[in-house]
Amino acid sequence: MKARSVRYLIGEGLKNIWLNRMMSIASVGVLMASMLLMGLAIAFSENVDRIMSTIESQNVVMIYLDDDLSDEQVQSVYEQIRSLDNINPDETIYISSSQALEGVLETMGPEYEQYFDAYFGEGNTILPETVRASMIDLEQYDQTISAIENVDGVDSYDSSRDLAVILTTVRSAINTAGIWMIVLLSLISLVIIANTVRITMFNRKLEISIMKAVGATNGFIRFPFMVEGITLGIIASLLTVGVEYLLYKVAIRALEPIISILSFNPVPFSNFMWIILLIFLALGIIAGLIASVITISKYLRREGSEFSAL
Amino acid sequence: MSSGASQPLIEFKGVYKTYDNGTKALSDVNLRIDKGEFVFIVGPSGSGKSTFIKLIIHEEKLDAGEILVNGFKMSSLRKKEVPLLRRTMGIVFQDFRLIPTMNVFENVAFPMHVVGASKREIRKRVSYALNLVGLGRKARSLPRELSGGEQQRVGLARALVNKPSMIIADEPTGNVDPNMSYEIVDLLTEINRRGTTILMVTHEHQLVRDFDRRVVMIETGHIVADNAGGVF
Ligand SMILES: Nc1ncnc2c1ncn2[C@@H]1O[C@H](COP(=O)(O)OP(=O)(O)OP(=O)(O)O)[C@@H](O)[C@H]1O
Ligand SMILES: [Mg+2]
Repeated sequence: MKARSVRYLIGEGLKNIWLNRMMSIASVGVLMASMLLMGLAIAFSENVDRIMSTIESQNVVMIYLDDDLSDEQVQSVYEQIRSLDNINPDETIYISSSQALEGVLETMGPEYEQYFDAYFGEGNTILPETVRASMIDLEQYDQTISAIENVDGVDSYDSSRDLAVILTTVRSAINTAGIWMIVLLSLISLVIIANTVRITMFNRKLEISIMKAVGATNGFIRFPFMVEGITLGIIASLLTVGVEYLLYKVAIRALEPIISILSFNPVPFSNFMWIILLIFLALGIIAGLIASVITISKYLRREGSEFSAL
Repeated sequence: MSSGASQPLIEFKGVYKTYDNGTKALSDVNLRIDKGEFVFIVGPSGSGKSTFIKLIIHEEKLDAGEILVNGFKMSSLRKKEVPLLRRTMGIVFQDFRLIPTMNVFENVAFPMHVVGASKREIRKRVSYALNLVGLGRKARSLPRELSGGEQQRVGLARALVNKPSMIIADEPTGNVDPNMSYEIVDLLTEINRRGTTILMVTHEHQLVRDFDRRVVMIETGHIVADNAGGVF
């Protein structure tokens, strides 16, 4: 095909998007909905990954001791914990209740000290004596935790491990659901785009019959429809990335309290923007192309009465 | 143009066409049309005139015999060759078939885009064709702004813009008023005078008599008369 034919046909395809703008908008909308769900799943899973690696790098269990222990008892509990299997003694430290308060004040701001003092009396806190223990191997988490619980003088413990377990479960659920969702949504998008092309084709049957009458090849007739499908795919991809950028910003702001509790930094949008843009473009272009090719081929294969039967 | 040894453009040799539902539309049709001729096809409704045309433009396939059109053998025409065959002819439709969203100029230019003509060629040929049919001033009009006769003249301009060796017209005057019919056939005569073979199906007997050309008459799928001079 000559370059100027290609140029002409691209123009025709674009003109057609405009002439059938209602259907074009519908197709882009449906494509965007599918892509957006997919993109949000990706964003979620990126962030879960980051939380997980933060948690895993810590391997930390905060062990709170009973209130009524004497200093010697505290010291003995600390030593017992340090000597447990799977506990790294070098990274296991004792945090006295006043140190704990300092830590709290450090994060909350020193101006809160007066409130603590006013509340509990100067020098007193209700913060427990704490041992910050570090595990060597997270695989042996359960055994280690029960060993810790069995130490006399241990009141309770706190670890981000529970959160990690929940997050892993949620993530794998979302991944599985996500794959099915993507398959389903891709099919729906395909059907909708195919329908758009079919409707434009119905409107353009006249044009196609004339094209055939003046000796246009099937490739020539198909071309504008392919341009149309691909362009709709590209438009949907770009818009979706834009919308997702905004949604992501809003979501992070809304989740700010939770995020600060987890003390992790959300993955910046730009980290995965190019990946999702590429995925969207590929999906959009493939969906547009398949839809237009399938639809028009059904019509072009027909032979006989191609001019009379309008 | 057709002086001297005449060259065949269309040849029917023992052609049969039966539709899938069993209708025998054409039986043992033998006919030769030379380059430069102007031929009217007449006959009662349902006699097979349109079928005859459809076989020439390869809208339908023949069952038996052979048809040669511009060197293309219709019995063994490959799918890929159909567009090439059609580029040698200009087809005029009874219902005009203009694209409503395109203006007159764009409608006429349409077949030239299909063959990948340059902008310059397109401008030159389209204005030539539009002037020939007397619509040079209506290039920017939309089809709906034109009368039936004018619309069919746009159809004619479109059919001749790619310099086809023949123009095939199945009842081109069927949807225009009688005075306009004469104007259309006048134009076809002029196009024929410039060298293009014309094949036209019509019901208008008076028109055929007045234009004094070769007349092929079909009845129930057979050619029953083939006379020169508007006689049938
Ligand atoms: N696609 C088709 N399928 C089945 N039968 C058909 C088809 N097209 C035409 N016929 C039949 O073939 C016969 C010839 O039809 P054709 O259209 O060639 O007639 P015609 O001479 O053009 O008639 P008219 O003057 O009414 O246009 C008719 O009996 C018609 O009913
Ligand atoms: Mg007919």
